[in-house]
Amino acid sequence: MKKAVVVLFVLAVIAAGAAWGLSAPTYISDQDAATLKVGEPVSGELVFWAGGCASCHAEKGAKGEDLLKLGGGLRLETPFGVFVAPNISSSEADGIGGWSLADFANAMTHGTSPEGENYYPAFPYTSYARMTGDDLGDLFAFMKTLPAVEGKAADHELGFPFNIRRGLGLWKRMFLDPAPVIGSPVSGNDVDQALWDRGRYLVEGPGHCGECHTPRDFAGGLELSKWLGGAPAPTGDGRIPDITPVDGGFGSWSAADIAYYLESGFTPEYDSVGGEMVHVQENMARLPASDREAIAAYLKAIPAVAAN
Amino acid sequence: MRIVRKTATVCLLAGLGLAGTAQAADDPIATRQAIMASVGAAAGLGGGMMKGEIDYNPVAGKAVIATMQAASFTFGDFFPAGSDQGDTGALASIWENADGFAAELAKLSDATGKATAASGKDGPADLDAFKAAMGPIFGTCKSCHETYRKKN
Repeated sequence: MKKAVVVLFVLAVIAAGAAWGLSAPTYISDQDAATLKVGEPVSGELVFWAGGCASCHAEKGAKGEDLLKLGGGLRLETPFGVFVAPNISSSEADGIGGWSLADFANAMTHGTSPEGENYYPAFPYTSYARMTGDDLGDLFAFMKTLPAVEGKAADHELGFPFNIRRGLGLWKRMFLDPAPVIGSPVSGNDVDQALWDRGRYLVEGPGHCGECHTPRDFAGGLELSKWLGGAPAPTGDGRIPDITPVDGGFGSWSAADIAYYLESGFTPEYDSVGGEMVHVQENMARLPASDREAIAAYLKAIPAVAAN
Repeated sequence: MRIVRKTATVCLLAGLGLAGTAQAADDPIATRQAIMASVGAAAGLGGGMMKGEIDYNPVAGKAVIATMQAASFTFGDFFPAGSDQGDTGALASIWENADGFAAELAKLSDATGKATAASGKDGPADLDAFKAAMGPIFGTCKSCHETYRKKN
């Protein structure tokens, strides 16, 4: 009996040790870190809009120049609790003004803070992990040019066990994978491969479209087999639509319809964009027309996900 | 006798008319959806002309603007308390922030009023004039749908 207790105790210590080890934050490799360089703010501005940073980190309802004031504070009310977007302005004290480019890359692609803490995936690093080093360098350069906003945003409001950041290390082991979701265009489509690749990069990477348009499992991980197949809205009422080429649904949109929607905010039936998608559409409208065409080409040649 | 019959017919027709009105008023969700469907149809015609898919015609341009203006005057009257329940895309924020919703409707009627004035008796003379009149109207669609309509 005494022996059994000892064995159990030892096993528990091993399990705890393993969980502790597996939940450790991860970092970019030294090799990748060595190739990073601070890039061009002008190119970085396009990455900034493609990434939708302002949609969460600017003040709610911000328009125009105010979209560049990234003081945070937006509350995302989700089934896991309330996430509050932090200050990512160039303020050294309250934002990310004191960060190195490597700090920035670790946050964006590994969800790891400069202090070695895990970020919650409400910050879509699961998508940003697919971004190129060049884009990260350019984006970093652009964000350095933005105004410093003083004041830290409020803390997240999360219950147990979601309030334990360390546990996210395990979550990341399960769900953080920078590999492309869709390997190649669905056959039967006349595809310009370079255009499709660009679309895949924008949608799966900086655009982080899958974060809302793909359903999540009980643990909050994306169900990749239903990629972009529509999902309950992560915040508020309603559903986020299926944007795969399904018959009787989004499949009836031509590539030109998709590109026009992203530019103008109008569907083929002349309904208008609504909800959070307004921000997304207005961001996409700032990109070159070729990028909107690339997104359309990609969405036309991915597997259709049947309604669920 | 003939007069009586005529009167009866008129009363009957009037009664039917009233019944029709009463029915619509009883179902504010159906009414506001029909109004918005007319806006959508008008936007489809206007947008089609702006995209060059439909040839521009001043009479059609005028019809688009007139439809939008009429809707801007009536649409807001069909959101009585309690009509957030049922088959509706309306968000609770319409009732929680009635002033904000009214401000969005005011933007629409302001834009349609200006477009109506610019459109004149014969409608906007050419496509450029039509685009200039419609731009501000189209801008109001998403600014309202962003906050007051359910995601779909």
